[in-house]
Amino acid sequence: MSDAATGPATVIGTSRDAPPAPPRDGARLRSGALVLLVQIALLAALLAAWEWQTRQSPQSSFLFGSPSAISRFLWQGLADGTLLRDAGVTALETGLGFLIGNIVGTLAGLSLWYSTFVSRVVQPFIVAIGSIPIIALAPIIIIWFGTGLASKVAMSTLSVVVVALVTSYKGALGVDPDQINLMRTLGARKPQIFAKLVVPSSLADIFAGLKLTVGFALIGAIVGEFMSSSVGLGHAIFQAGSLYAIPKVFAALVGTIALALILTFLVGRAERLLMPWRDRH
Amino acid sequence: MSEGTLQAVGRPGSPVPPLSVEHLAKAYRTGGRILPVVGDLTFALARGEIVAIVGPSGCGKTTLLNAVCGLTPTDSGRILWNGVPLDRRGRTPSGIGYMLQKDLLLPWRTALDNVKLGTELRGMPRGLADERARALLDQLGLHGFAGAYPATLSGGMRQRVALARTLINDPEVLLFDEPFAALDFQTKLLIEADTVRLVRDGGKSVLLITHDIEEAVSIADRVLVLSGRPTTVKAAYTIDLDCAPDDMIGARESAGFSDYVRQIWADLDIPRTTVGGAGRGISRAAARS
Repeated sequence: MSDAATGPATVIGTSRDAPPAPPRDGARLRSGALVLLVQIALLAALLAAWEWQTRQSPQSSFLFGSPSAISRFLWQGLADGTLLRDAGVTALETGLGFLIGNIVGTLAGLSLWYSTFVSRVVQPFIVAIGSIPIIALAPIIIIWFGTGLASKVAMSTLSVVVVALVTSYKGALGVDPDQINLMRTLGARKPQIFAKLVVPSSLADIFAGLKLTVGFALIGAIVGEFMSSSVGLGHAIFQAGSLYAIPKVFAALVGTIALALILTFLVGRAERLLMPWRDRH
Repeated sequence: MSEGTLQAVGRPGSPVPPLSVEHLAKAYRTGGRILPVVGDLTFALARGEIVAIVGPSGCGKTTLLNAVCGLTPTDSGRILWNGVPLDRRGRTPSGIGYMLQKDLLLPWRTALDNVKLGTELRGMPRGLADERARALLDQLGLHGFAGAYPATLSGGMRQRVALARTLINDPEVLLFDEPFAALDFQTKLLIEADTVRLVRDGGKSVLLITHDIEEAVSIADRVLVLSGRPTTVKAAYTIDLDCAPDDMIGARESAGFSDYVRQIWADLDIPRTTVGGAGRGISRAAARS
């Protein structure tokens, strides 16, 4: 890669001052394929061992549920639509909780940057709220929000909001003070520093928080469904579990994992869309 | 301020210097103790002049620079921009450009958008800003790199983008805090030459803080040597070399260069008790002979 040396009057740059070389795509692709291959092999081996073990005795297949039985339930749930309906409801609860919790938490966290005084005042309260196990709130949430969608969204939101607040505030505090000084010498006022510097430079931390809170939002929704519900993956797991229908529990669990993976994938896509400069190295 | 002074503001060649610092003092309080950093500092920066400030490590050079910009409050003394005292509320005066050793480019902005940062903050029309930014990038040899993100540029190129960002608001005075210190020698000479050319052509004044005595002597019209804490101006040299102002190699080869460097080196009074210190001194002497 050659440097820019075409200026009319000024000849700039030397071979010693060349931009960093991009990584080789071919090598990365090959090692990526290998990783995927090993992952698939590992999963297949696990399922085979599981299947073999559960065929040794009827007790074992009753207690652990064989992969073949699980796949039958999965197929049946997909065919009659119950699994999709449960997954859809849980996805809606999780998605709403994830969005509300992250929007509220991130806005609050970032705006704490504005005032050191306010952030110092509220810090112990945030720690206190953050240390409450969400499940302990479930009975109150059901009393306040009922047994429908709202209570699950509330549980999910509460599982997310403090994490989002803390990670975004940490991001806002991590801005280089020299960078702020530079903005000031260029004539920036505080709202401009916030919008043009603090928010974008906190994005990395905000997205780290988003990835973390996918799981938390799902836990909130499922715990809410455990407490009282008539539909949803959490409801399916709870009901099948109390009937000792182990393969059915696992089938719903597979649905839950799929949901978590889809949400994580979406967050990853959003990250690449909103932070394109991270990719182009 | 009298009316006469106000009239003189901004006129080229006027007797009122763009920046003057009078009896500046600043102390930090750490753990109940008072640590005086800047003792009693007085100097002025004339229009179109390049003044380099050298001093021992930890002598408060960066504190001085931040105080001059209004980023750090001072304890006593006055800072006058075009004869007008600095706003006590810590507002940075307009018409200054500030550049540090760190390029401080925003990684989410392309080179062009980084250069345009200052124009956005001041509300310059987008078309004009774009035109100016591109012209500056071209002048600094970065034609074709306008759309590149900082992560894809080399250290020298990033520092050029930072220089373009500093120059885009057409500041009267440039404040440099070791802007070239992190670059390799060859890159440094090239970017120094470009900087001097742009600064001289634009008739700007520069206050350059540096550790590098050779850099100070080769670039500046005047070199101020600071003492250790609490800092005062220990010595001042008017540099007169027989070469073009932007000729960095020529400056190093010209007759008086090594004498200035040796004198300033002596003024700094760096203790030579360590092996490393002695080695540096010898290698410098060897490089000049």
